[in-house]
Amino acid sequence: MRRAFSSRWRLSAYHTQLVLLLAPFVVGTFLLIFVPMTITLALGFTEYDLFSPPRWNDFQNFKNWAADLLFQRALYNSAWFVLIAVPLRVLGALLLAMFLNRSGRAFGVGRAAIYLPTMIPEVAYALIWLLLLNPGFGAVNLLLNALGLPSVGWTLEPFPARVSVTVMWLFQLGEGFVLMLAALQLIPQDVLEVALLDGANRWQRFRYIILPFMVPALLLLTFRDVALSFQGVFVAGLLTTETGPYYTTYFLPHYVYDEAFGLFRYGYASATTSLVYVVTIAIVAGLFFAVRRWRRDDAFE
Amino acid sequence: MRLNNSRIPRSDEFIRTNRGTNKFVTTRAVGTLITYALLAIVIALFLFPLVWMFSYAVRSVNLPAPSQLEFFTPPLAFENFARLNEFFPLSQFALNSLRIVAFAVPLTLLTASWAGFAIAQLPPRARNFFLGMSIALMLVPALATWIPRFVLFAQLGWIDSILPVLAPAVMGTNPFFVILFYLAFRRVPREVYESAYLDGANALRIWWSIALPLARPALLAVAILAAAYYWSNYADALLYLRREINYTLPIGVQLLEKAQANNFPLMMAAAVIMVAPVLVLFLFVQPYFLQGKIAERWLK
Repeated sequence: MRRAFSSRWRLSAYHTQLVLLLAPFVVGTFLLIFVPMTITLALGFTEYDLFSPPRWNDFQNFKNWAADLLFQRALYNSAWFVLIAVPLRVLGALLLAMFLNRSGRAFGVGRAAIYLPTMIPEVAYALIWLLLLNPGFGAVNLLLNALGLPSVGWTLEPFPARVSVTVMWLFQLGEGFVLMLAALQLIPQDVLEVALLDGANRWQRFRYIILPFMVPALLLLTFRDVALSFQGVFVAGLLTTETGPYYTTYFLPHYVYDEAFGLFRYGYASATTSLVYVVTIAIVAGLFFAVRRWRRDDAFE
Repeated sequence: MRLNNSRIPRSDEFIRTNRGTNKFVTTRAVGTLITYALLAIVIALFLFPLVWMFSYAVRSVNLPAPSQLEFFTPPLAFENFARLNEFFPLSQFALNSLRIVAFAVPLTLLTASWAGFAIAQLPPRARNFFLGMSIALMLVPALATWIPRFVLFAQLGWIDSILPVLAPAVMGTNPFFVILFYLAFRRVPREVYESAYLDGANALRIWWSIALPLARPALLAVAILAAAYYWSNYADALLYLRREINYTLPIGVQLLEKAQANNFPLMMAAAVIMVAPVLVLFLFVQPYFLQGKIAERWLK
């Protein structure tokens, strides 16, 4: 019995049963995530239209990027979006969590209200914003007018269109908000109390106690958000602003969708997908090492 | 944080109050006022899109577009909901969506809880490997799987059936769900499982009669998140479903948007049909938010 639960890996009967329970998850992720991801990387080097087998095409897909203005536009838009939206979302989730992590029913209502937009189905969410942002009679412009400000052509002009998709995405920060809330609650209260008795002010408490405790959660949230934000704008860009004026809200997922399922250029679309993946990994790795260094420097202070 | 409400006044603050200037008390009152004003703004901001949707869904299509902010303008037109089926068989699409939810959620609960249960009891090195794998998998953009999955399902002849849409349920839908179950099962003392094993129960039996009843909050949370996911899933339906008879509600709502481009009351009525079940699901999770003890429930 002891052996069955020992920390050394032995394939006892019980362990075999556990492995069987784990099998659907492992086999499923292998077939539906790991294998597709690898195939996408490989297809990027081929020309493939689904009807004839993939053909090696001498890095033609990657050379094609240099001449493909639409691709460059989509890449620029996605990069812009991730660089602006992710920091705002992470910061927003952190600040809202710090603000609402108090007892009292009103704050409970606040926490629920913040999570609600995240649960709205994405198609319904896109349509709601299509109405809110309508240049003629959308609620956002009506609100601006009520405050004595002029209307903005939210979906009609390049820069406002960018702002629109970013704001739509900001309202759906519920998952990050919950993660931040949980992380805040795991900070040992006695450490904060001691700091308070020592006369640490708000900023000092945040900088030297709360923030260091929050680093792992913040890091996890940022990683997840980078990956999610490349993906998350698909429906917003597709339905609310469509491609946007002058393709300002035409993002890489939409571009990949058009190339693959509209033009049947699966090889080329795979190369572009691989780029998204490689960039995601690069950003995540870069952040990881930056934070590790920062924490090490911190330890010497 | 939570401390702010019941915080111990610093010594200098005591002195000021005792002198009778009452400065500490007044600054606190002003602070409270600002806090609640801010709270009201945050709540109004985050609820505004939903309120506007409900208000517009019952707006008569004969009314001119509003020229100022107005909510629930009479006469209320509940017939907007009845008219939804005029353009596309949206109730059929809703049934299709419900069918997918009905198959996918139980399957997800089964596989995700099995995986979480197994990972919680594996030796540390194997456990850390699978946890790391789950977190890494959460970073893979869905985009990277679209094309090969499509090719795979085309080879299997599954295109235009609900099978490709259901397939992720076999792997627990989302590695995050597996992690949630792992966190729940980890809280059960190992001795509980061990004694059940000594009494002759196998892993499946221990999972069903001991672990699952103890992990009810996780079960509920994953069921709700999975139901909302499959009910809302747009990208998979767009990729794999071809004939109108198989369409799901998100596809139908999008079709309605294309066909009735400026008929916003009707569009919002359709949005309400999409959002309503999710709001019902939300009623089940709202105690977590109202009580606010997320970490206590999940991570300890």
